[in-house]
Amino acid sequence: MKIQSIGVKKAITAILVLGLALALTACGNSSGAQTSAPPSDQAAPAQAGAQPLADEGAGGGADLIAGDKVRIGVFSDKPPFGYLDANGDSNGFDIYIAKRVAKDLLGDESRVEFVLVEPATRVEYLESDKVDIIFANFTVTDERKEKVDFALPYMKVALGVVSPEAAPINAVEDLKGKKLIVIKGTTAETYFTENHPDIELVKFDQISEAFQALKDGRGAGLSQDNTLLFAWARENAGFTVGVSALGRKDVIAPAVRKGNEKLLAWLNDELKKLGAEQFIHAAYEAELRPAYGDSIDPENVVIEGGETR
Amino acid sequence: MLSSGLRVFFEGRNMARLMAGLLVTLKIALISIAICFLAGLLAGLLMTSKRPAVRAAMRVYLESVRIVPVLVWLFLVFFGVTRAWGLNLSGELAAVLVFVFWGTAEMGDIVRGAIQSLPVHQRQSGMALGLTEAQIYRHVVAPQILRRLLPASINLATRMVKTTSLVVFVGVTEVVKTGQQIIEFSNSKNPAAAFWIYGLIFILYFLVCYPISLLSRRLEKVWAY
Amino acid sequence: MNQEALPLLQIKGLVKTYGKAPALNGVSLSVGKGDAVVILGPSGCGKSTLLRCINGLERIQSGEIILNGENISNPGARWDLVRQRVGMVFQSYDLFPHMSVLDNVLLGPLKVQKRDKAEARRQAEGLLARVGLLDRKKDYPRQLSGGQKQRVAIVRALCMNPDLMLFDEVTAALDPEMVREVLDVIAGLAEQGMTMLIVTHEMDFAKAIADKAVFIVDGAVEEESDGEVFFRNPRTERARRFLNSFQYESRRPRRKTGAAPSGLTPVPVTRATMG
Repeated sequence: MKIQSIGVKKAITAILVLGLALALTACGNSSGAQTSAPPSDQAAPAQAGAQPLADEGAGGGADLIAGDKVRIGVFSDKPPFGYLDANGDSNGFDIYIAKRVAKDLLGDESRVEFVLVEPATRVEYLESDKVDIIFANFTVTDERKEKVDFALPYMKVALGVVSPEAAPINAVEDLKGKKLIVIKGTTAETYFTENHPDIELVKFDQISEAFQALKDGRGAGLSQDNTLLFAWARENAGFTVGVSALGRKDVIAPAVRKGNEKLLAWLNDELKKLGAEQFIHAAYEAELRPAYGDSIDPENVVIEGGETR
Repeated sequence: MLSSGLRVFFEGRNMARLMAGLLVTLKIALISIAICFLAGLLAGLLMTSKRPAVRAAMRVYLESVRIVPVLVWLFLVFFGVTRAWGLNLSGELAAVLVFVFWGTAEMGDIVRGAIQSLPVHQRQSGMALGLTEAQIYRHVVAPQILRRLLPASINLATRMVKTTSLVVFVGVTEVVKTGQQIIEFSNSKNPAAAFWIYGLIFILYFLVCYPISLLSRRLEKVWAY
Repeated sequence: MNQEALPLLQIKGLVKTYGKAPALNGVSLSVGKGDAVVILGPSGCGKSTLLRCINGLERIQSGEIILNGENISNPGARWDLVRQRVGMVFQSYDLFPHMSVLDNVLLGPLKVQKRDKAEARRQAEGLLARVGLLDRKKDYPRQLSGGQKQRVAIVRALCMNPDLMLFDEVTAALDPEMVREVLDVIAGLAEQGMTMLIVTHEMDFAKAIADKAVFIVDGAVEEESDGEVFFRNPRTERARRFLNSFQYESRRPRRKTGAAPSGLTPVPVTRATMG
């Protein structure tokens, strides 16, 4: 059976190529605002102790980023830090600060493009240069420091465990033999995997799924940054943050792509400048106090000028 | 209390956002399905090729698609391509590429199974008449396997529609992610929002997938012989 | 019989092996135009393989197949052209189930031979009328009986206007009452001078139709004789035994009615192999 099938093969190749071309044209016009930005490793000569690059309020950081907008990665479903309101606009504590940073960088608050990221994709977005800055409740860890460059912190965080008031988890010991809900790629997952391997973890990709699972009773508790849990427990009657500070006291900071020292230096100067005017406190009053209520001391959450006291 | 939760649909642009999310879901799913159904027919032919090297290559392709989760492929294409070549694909394009890559392999395997289920004498009868290989596929194999392909390929299509919820990881906000954003924002004031939003998403998925199964039932009748 | 003319088909030293097992071991054969050649032999002797080699469904290892003076066993042979001149009908009457009777018959003439549709259709309908199935032309194969399907399969091959027809145990899968209608069609073709090679186990039919009989054992031609000679008085002992194996009625010792059986008498026959 030796049939000549050259014609068939040619046709196959042609159709495969055609299909790919179709795919490209079909999606080419919907590629969003992401313009292709060549990696600029070499474009950033080391600038230790960088001189202040930002003019007061007038921008002047345009040469620090590739496009005409600064691309900032933020969360879209994590109130009160980063979420979309009913009109689909980004809002929250992180966004409040990020907008100011954009304004100081480019002179205009509207010259920011918020890229919606997931906890598990924050590092990837920076590494592949798809965002300039991540402003998404990004906890500073040694592991992440190897992959991205963190700027000065603006917030403190520890792990908390939220659980139903009816069956509260008040200490890690209470979790023995029970299931704990965590979100993949978070510090909570790492902490419990390393320090309490005996506790069974139920892992979810997305925050909203995880909270839904807690409500459905698929775990005895849910561990996540306490800053997030305070707000969530306040909004969801019947749940309490029984464990409010677990593990290391971590800090949260914006991050830039590894090696992007110019932007990093500018961002650090910017955070110091914001600290001088107590801007993070203003952000707290605007975005966090409504969610946390008055029972939480802002000094337990806010960091001004990168200085942890 | 539950029915008052309905107001979540009328706040701000929530409904418009859900519909926009649905359009994104549909766009990615339907483009991918259309392309990979065509490409899958050809992949199936290659999987039944007489050349062992071609079959082995297709085997590697299929297995790599199956072993590596779709989510990992999305990361590889969306982030990996940018890192490796500085080529910045949009999330939607990356999603379509991955879905086509995945769907073509799965469709190819479905086609392979259908071709191999055809009695060998059918092909030989065609050969004995002097039909060329291409003519045998066109007139003998294809019409007979199309109907056998239907159930499995409809299953694949609906699977692809549902898997679009993964594209959120490459920055594409489709209908499920939109729903989650609305739920998280509305939760404090409207705890029933989750019920209504997920309920609507359920109905939307049904409205998308049900016509596909209707079409399949129609075609099964049309292609009956 | 037309022995003066150049043979239509000539096979020389044909060797076909499956892996190491030889299926045909140097078969030589010549078929004159208009001859009806019956190929006989025990099951597994290579009869079907021989037919499949003649229209290229099997690749041969050595030897020559010459059709109308043209060597078609060359590596460069255009089998798609050869197959238009050699019609083949299989045991399992493989009509295309998704096509009507008429479309089955017209597929080759229209797609392979690119003939005029009206002309091909006239011929197809004429042939269907000849096998008594014109009124079934719009039916699908599943609506036909086995015998009817096999008659359509014959028409499908004939409509290509072949020089040579190959029949590969075409009645073996049929219910007994349907065998006759198919054999009648083949016999009719033979009468009209169609050259044909027939592999069959229907001995009465073979005897009636064979211009020439070829007896194959273990992949080699054991005897090649005129049909009349072969069936009346085969030259080889193996052919004789083979033919006798189909004659069991006359060789069975009859019991006398009422007499007690004196034990079982062994019947010295080689079993008729019908597969």
